[in-house]
Amino acid sequence: MAEEAKVVKDKKLKKVTKKSLRTMQRTRQRHPIRTQARIAKYGAKGFGRNIWLSTAATVVMAITLIILFVTVVASVILTSTAEMMKDKIDITIYLKPGATSAQLAKLENIMKSDSNVKSVETSNSEEEYEKFLKENEGSDEVISILDDEMKKLMIDKMQGTMRIKVYDVDNLDSVKQIVEENEDFKLFVDKSKAPTYDVNRVEINTITTWAKIARTGGIVLAAVFLVISVLIIFSTIRMAIFSRREEIYMMKLVGAEKNFIRGPFLVEAEICGIIAGVVAATVSYFGFMFMAPKLAGYGIDVTVITDVLESNKLILVYLVFMALGIVIGRLSARLAVSKYLNKA
Amino acid sequence: MILLDSVTKQYPGDAEPALDSVSLHIEPNEFVFLVGKSGAGKSTLMKMITKEESPDSGKIIIGGIDLDYVKKRHIPGYRRRLGVVFQDFKLLPRRTVYENVAFALEIAGMSGKEIRKTVPKVLELVDLLDQAKKFPHQLSGGQQQRVSIARSVARQPKILIADEPTANLDKLTTEEIIQLLKKINDFGTTILVTTHNENIVNTLQKRVVTLKNGRIVNDQKNNGIYKLDETPVPKEPVRVVQTPGHALRRPAVKATDSTVANPVVRPVATKTTKKKVI
Repeated sequence: MAEEAKVVKDKKLKKVTKKSLRTMQRTRQRHPIRTQARIAKYGAKGFGRNIWLSTAATVVMAITLIILFVTVVASVILTSTAEMMKDKIDITIYLKPGATSAQLAKLENIMKSDSNVKSVETSNSEEEYEKFLKENEGSDEVISILDDEMKKLMIDKMQGTMRIKVYDVDNLDSVKQIVEENEDFKLFVDKSKAPTYDVNRVEINTITTWAKIARTGGIVLAAVFLVISVLIIFSTIRMAIFSRREEIYMMKLVGAEKNFIRGPFLVEAEICGIIAGVVAATVSYFGFMFMAPKLAGYGIDVTVITDVLESNKLILVYLVFMALGIVIGRLSARLAVSKYLNKA
Repeated sequence: MILLDSVTKQYPGDAEPALDSVSLHIEPNEFVFLVGKSGAGKSTLMKMITKEESPDSGKIIIGGIDLDYVKKRHIPGYRRRLGVVFQDFKLLPRRTVYENVAFALEIAGMSGKEIRKTVPKVLELVDLLDQAKKFPHQLSGGQQQRVSIARSVARQPKILIADEPTANLDKLTTEEIIQLLKKINDFGTTILVTTHNENIVNTLQKRVVTLKNGRIVNDQKNNGIYKLDETPVPKEPVRVVQTPGHALRRPAVKATDSTVANPVVRPVATKTTKKKVI
């Protein structure tokens, strides 16, 4: 009988307990907006009250973002420079004066039949003269001496040209073969002036190499820097939180929910991230604008970046920087807090 | 209100259990002292109640809740139903007195309006209204403990447990804190206090439970006397002389060397301090 009474009592107790626990769970989810507002408030206050650690974390984060910016920019401008230079490279074949448009068109078609050829452009003597006129448009001295007699003389003397762009600058054998062996080409090519196969050969090689480095090395470098900087930020934030692990423990003992304990730390890290983003974007902007003319002086194509920075896309750059700051900060803080939150 | 039924707890690596089938029943509105030397199991018992530790066997029922069913996710909610006061105050160092008390209400999801109404009242109860904007490090030990008590009673818990609340305080402040706890008890809160300090136990004339080596060796209702060396504990209740219109007269306890408690003595850290808290 006593056993039975005990079982009944236990069942009743279980029922009462479960009911109380359910009520507690319900109050836990009460007022989410109010709770979020409080988390934000304490996050902002915490940022101010831990100003030194906040500053340290912000600085490290800003440096990281600047490094990331530099890596990405280097990769982009080198790639674009290489592409641009490659695009500039063409092979010029000089033709004897007096070739007609129809004859040139025939040569063009022959050359286009090569699979390595990207584009072919030809101009006969008259077109060359027009080009010359255009180039000297502003110069009155030159124009003034060009009477009809001079014009005829120039057209007679001026050579037609064929400009060829190829896909693969390292493999010009087929083009050479056409120029040297095709019967039609033999008729019109000016033997006295050699085609410009090997002009800027060294330059081409350098650029090709750089383009490859920029593409593959840039990605690797960016990845390495990203990992290093996340580690640095993580340990900085962890240090900041380590000094406050007692606080986390106390909050747990008083009965605070995990989210409520973690929240202010995340908000603090987010504030750090936003400030770091703004600082890094500003430094990067002025730094790049300062460096751009110098880089351009070396023949590096900076327009891809300057176009973005000088347009109203600049605000996008700021947003990306801030978003990155928030993501990195939040991630690091979450990892760092969870260690103490689960332990203490 | 608090019911422990043959609770046993043994920490891994220890020869003796920290608690050895302890059974204890505390009625609503009781004021109970839990006394005993360091390592007697007081802290372990407190940690069982706050669900920092779980018993190996036995049942614990607090305020109608069987702790067996309290899962990890229930713990914050469960702890919010208790008022807890610690020896080292455990105040949030980067928050003001006001914010520390408000924190207890904020985690319960109380509205800003209610908090602004409640906190000053509670601070007034502990006589710290004028210190509201200070940070804990700007306060004395006694004041900090009063903040801690204010925080724990702000939610008006039915149960308040205090683990060595006066161990870090001097004699006069100890008296203040105990009077404050008594006041809270008078409002209807069940209070369980662990202590080393026999003076306060003897002054207050409340129920005293003595722990020794993880066992309850003495349980005296209403007019407990406790001596640090635990020998001999009077078997018969000490007679209290009460004359109308006068306060309770203290029973004559002679202060011998062994009975003079050192109010600032820190208890030796028990083995429980390293243990993982859920």
